[in-house]
Amino acid sequence: MGGVDVGGGGGGKRKSLDSDINMIPMIDLLMVTISFLLITAVWSHMSRINADAQVPGPPRPDVEQEKVEPEKQLHVMMQTEDKFVLVWKQGSTTVDQIDVPRKDVTIHAGNQDVIRFPDLAVKIESEWKAKGQHSNPTDRKLDQAILHTDNKTEFRYLIGVIDAIYQTHRDMNLGSKIEKMPAFNITFAVN
Amino acid sequence: MPIANPGRRLMRHVGLEFVAKKVAGGGHRSTNAALSLTSMIDFLVVTVVFLLMTFSASGEVPQAKGLVIPKAENALDMIDAPIVSVVQRQILVDGAPAGNTNSVIETDRMQRIDELFNMLKAKRELWKQTHPNKDFPGVAMLQIDQNIPAVVVKSVFQTAAFAGFPNVSFMVDKLPQSGAH
Repeated sequence: MGGVDVGGGGGGKRKSLDSDINMIPMIDLLMVTISFLLITAVWSHMSRINADAQVPGPPRPDVEQEKVEPEKQLHVMMQTEDKFVLVWKQGSTTVDQIDVPRKDVTIHAGNQDVIRFPDLAVKIESEWKAKGQHSNPTDRKLDQAILHTDNKTEFRYLIGVIDAIYQTHRDMNLGSKIEKMPAFNITFAVN
Repeated sequence: MPIANPGRRLMRHVGLEFVAKKVAGGGHRSTNAALSLTSMIDFLVVTVVFLLMTFSASGEVPQAKGLVIPKAENALDMIDAPIVSVVQRQILVDGAPAGNTNSVIETDRMQRIDELFNMLKAKRELWKQTHPNKDFPGVAMLQIDQNIPAVVVKSVFQTAAFAGFPNVSFMVDKLPQSGAH
């Protein structure tokens, strides 16, 4: 038996403050807790990659529409097999255009092949550092990336490119603390 | 004659050596071993603490059968939202059939999938009725097989946006961070 001293120790006829813990129910409780936690454990942790369809709200007739200068947007084009094309556009005006040679890196994770584009991620990060518009930690708005793809590209390649775009992080002030957040918000080109 | 200690005499008549050794207490070590209670309780407590720390009350996200989710590194935690699954040519919304992708694949053109649109719109209306004083978050989770072509992904994405779910997330299996940043 294990003993627990709960303090005290005054004299007289008071009952002893030392009490014993019965080991058998204690071990039973631990075993039952372990069994329950093992049975209900979730071993596969799913996550999500965010995308925003950028649907504008309906115009409000009571509010006068301000003329806002369009922001720079990064268009990531993956229609060709040998390269990515990064195009910075402001409205319909092309600001800059860079070709990034396409190098698919396949890594084996479990029984699955994962496609990654580390060169593209590095290039996008350097591009954002040079031309990104929302880098101040107090600015809650994100720069916009638009993904252009052909119809045949498999979903895992799209996720590889989206993952490369989301690799660029920046500091964002979320009230009480500053956190690392993705620098871009991603959507798909319609065409 | 001095009195001698009699010693063991039990089962002497049995002519088997191993029986005599067993009776005499010699031979192999006992098969019973004592457990150290302190170490055992320490181990059990550490196991309980580890399992409690990794415990997830939100439970497992249901995954459609035959679906292989792509893996990604820069992923966010899951949130509660309707799950649109695309397995081969079948579309499911929270496990219930919501059309197929036959017309999208056959025409190879991005288009609205009407059955999916109606089902998502009904979900949106239901949410608005049950939460009358709240803004609709418009979040949907797309659970798409890694080999599905982009035209289907874009069609489902666009249909969800048209049905009032512009904040779309793609479900991925999280890869450990490689330390690239």
